[in-house]
Amino acid sequence: MADAFAEFVNAAKQEPAAHPLDQPVATWTEREVLDGEQVEAGVAILRTRGCYWSIREGCAMCGYFNDTVPGGVSTEALQAQWAQVLPRLAGKRYAKIYTSGSFLDPTEVPLDFAAQAMAEMHAAGVEKVLVESLPEFVHARHMDYGAAPALEVAIGLESATPLVLDKCVNKRLKWDGFTRACANAHTAGASVKAYVLLKPPFLNEAQAIDDAVASIERAAPHVDKVSLNPVNVQRNTVVERLFRRGEWSAPWLWSVVEVLRRTRECGVRVYSDPTGGGTQRGAHNCGECDQALLDGLTAHRLGGPLPAAACDCRGRWKALLAQGGVRRDGAEPWGYRRGFRGGRRF
Amino acid sequence: MEPLAHEGLGRLLELHGRRTPLALGAEAGAKLLSEKALGDGGALKLGRRKLALPSQPLGRDTAQAPFLALSDDVAVLDGAASHDPRQLLAALRATREEAGWRRLLYTPAVEPAEMPLLAYLGVDLFDSLTAELRGAAGYRLEQGDWIPDAGATTAGNRKALAGWLARIRSALEQGRLRELVERTALHNPRVAQLLHHSRELLATLGARRAVEIRAGALSLGHPAVTEWRHSLERFTPPAAGMVLLLLPCSARKPYHWSATHRRFHRTLRELDNWLALHVVSVTSPLGLVPRELEMLHPAAHYDVGVTGHWDANEHAMFGRQLERLRPEDRYKKAIVHAGSASGLLAELLRERGVEVLETGAERPASGAGLGALRAACRTALRGVASLSGRDRSRGEAAGLAQVQFGELAEPLLAAAVQGRWPRLRLEGLANFSPRIGGFALTVQGAAALAAAGGPVIEAAEFQLRGDLFAAGVIGTRGEFRNGEQVAVEQGGEITAAGIARMAPGEMVAMERGLAVEVRNRG
Ligand code: SF4
Ligand SMILES: [Zn+2]
Repeated sequence: MADAFAEFVNAAKQEPAAHPLDQPVATWTEREVLDGEQVEAGVAILRTRGCYWSIREGCAMCGYFNDTVPGGVSTEALQAQWAQVLPRLAGKRYAKIYTSGSFLDPTEVPLDFAAQAMAEMHAAGVEKVLVESLPEFVHARHMDYGAAPALEVAIGLESATPLVLDKCVNKRLKWDGFTRACANAHTAGASVKAYVLLKPPFLNEAQAIDDAVASIERAAPHVDKVSLNPVNVQRNTVVERLFRRGEWSAPWLWSVVEVLRRTRECGVRVYSDPTGGGTQRGAHNCGECDQALLDGLTAHRLGGPLPAAACDCRGRWKALLAQGGVRRDGAEPWGYRRGFRGGRRF
Repeated sequence: MEPLAHEGLGRLLELHGRRTPLALGAEAGAKLLSEKALGDGGALKLGRRKLALPSQPLGRDTAQAPFLALSDDVAVLDGAASHDPRQLLAALRATREEAGWRRLLYTPAVEPAEMPLLAYLGVDLFDSLTAELRGAAGYRLEQGDWIPDAGATTAGNRKALAGWLARIRSALEQGRLRELVERTALHNPRVAQLLHHSRELLATLGARRAVEIRAGALSLGHPAVTEWRHSLERFTPPAAGMVLLLLPCSARKPYHWSATHRRFHRTLRELDNWLALHVVSVTSPLGLVPRELEMLHPAAHYDVGVTGHWDANEHAMFGRQLERLRPEDRYKKAIVHAGSASGLLAELLRERGVEVLETGAERPASGAGLGALRAACRTALRGVASLSGRDRSRGEAAGLAQVQFGELAEPLLAAAVQGRWPRLRLEGLANFSPRIGGFALTVQGAAALAAAGGPVIEAAEFQLRGDLFAAGVIGTRGEFRNGEQVAVEQGGEITAAGIARMAPGEMVAMERGLAVEVRNRG
């Protein structure tokens, strides 16, 4: 079956479009918390060769390869991108430098370029920088930058359940590999943030909640914080195919809140900033209560309490969860969240 | 597991004290049991029996074969609720190949409106998941449809669903499931589309069941109707150079028992050489019904309101049926005395180069109509070679046998023909049977067909007293469908002739249930 799944993943993929090599994919700023204080963080996505795993197979929900350059990006081009990113980090204490893969993979982001970027951020007064990496690249020797801001490594755990990783996500991650990476990061003086998925494809809503809760609880002792990532529909992925066919729908915002509620006592900060929240392609509810809940999640992420809201659709969400033990996929009837109002069909 | 009735690809099964099709979670003693470990698929309970379900389709592309997830007892068609019609039919088409006949077929979370059609296409198990969610959203289930109702509940919808399934089972038992399907298709585009795309599947693999067709617009696609129209390709008129006489159909079936057709007959019988007239009735949805075939299903068993208005679909259909009959090669000329359809048919015949006489009678069976018929026949028969009763019977028997048995009719045609239509006999090989509406094979007849490659059921060697049950079936040879005539072979000898009541693979796989309704024993 694993082979058929790999085929499914690869069949969904498309050759990425041609992109200019000297431009970052995107830059923006967002509110963040640093040492208990709200700050403006500078964020950039560098265009790279991308995740080595997505070149072979990739994960069922991940469309990052759409932003990559299959032939690879030279150090000169990375430097050209960096020259545009650096000025936007001026005055920022917190920076997030993403690639569409692993910043710590030296074949994707050459070590000398990484060290240069770190040194320049340090000189610019950035106190903390977040990068992402697969666990296999989290070694002290890949983080040996000399002068650098404090490092935070985000690792996509996705799920702590082997079956889910294997048959729903298609990620070859072993629990030991994950904990070793966390230890390596800590030894190197970095902090660790884990990404946990909410509702990977194929799971139903209730299974998804339980799996996210279990994964967070299991990961908590090894990490410093957890970002709960509700699966959203990215282009040319298995998730997009299932979404189009009506075999999977994005998680409810109620489910996001539920996971956060059930993991309050896990010992580390857990929060969520749902990509595409409030749309069909991201975590959403009935449409009436979505904005209130999204605002509540943002406030929670910045240190506030869990969102509390009431809405009719909560009863429907509960009715769906009640079927968790017998539902065979992540689908629900079209228009159900809206209570079948204003749909083009029942 | 015992099949009690078949319609289309659907089965009424009895097992563990329950009858399928049924909806798990809605009906007493039938429910889904939760999974024990993530993704194990859980189980279902029928009466006191627990049947494991196949594990959840994690990582599976449900649009790729194999389409079914299998456990020992159950085959699950995942994605059935969301597949587009073609995809769903591709999966249903593969059912028996992937799952055999002894697993129950389950389509999870489908809409109640789709259940009659899915049952007709072979699905045994449904569930109450969609009905429950509808209840939570304020919709009540009524006759397979959703009615907004603030008082709707999950429990109420489960109960209504149980009633809906009882209706599906009773329709299947009576051979009226197709009717229920057509009715739900009227206000459900997805069902209509699925039904449309399932025509060919039903016509090639569906059970033939001789119940009356009560026609609506959708009956034009009824598999028995489609099959009928194609069977005209195998038909030949009793003799070359006859005069084709097109008459209107009658409400009463078979036609020749109706008052109007008896009046036609009395009129024709007075004419010299009237045997050279070949009567073909004009009807919707069957198109053309030659007299020899009048007693066959579905010609003898359908009920349509005649409006006297013929639409473009019917126009095209008559065109195709004439193409199959090839009147320009086979008849000397044609008389059209078919009431409201006359103009249309005369035009189609002339387009084919046939010499046509129109009686122009608006009321064909009235005194004036009969007078016009008499006159037209006299004119048309002038100079037409006379046909003896014997030759005519021979030709009629051949036409009927070819339609019934196709190429396999060859050995039957060598027999002497006795009697007069409808009570024709092929000496020693076949006799007219009112129940079949055509020839019923004798044991020798079935053996003659079997020798020519016809269908044979190999049965265990025991004294065959009544019907043949599935437990006694060892194997099958040749091609046949549920509802067709077959030979029963025991120890290398043909010992009986009868009608298959299961599909070939099914009677081999099943351990219980009627396999062959035996009509003649050696
Ligand atoms: S989710 Fe991470 S590991 Fe998986 S393909 Fe995307 S970038 Fe690679
Ligand atoms: Zn709501």
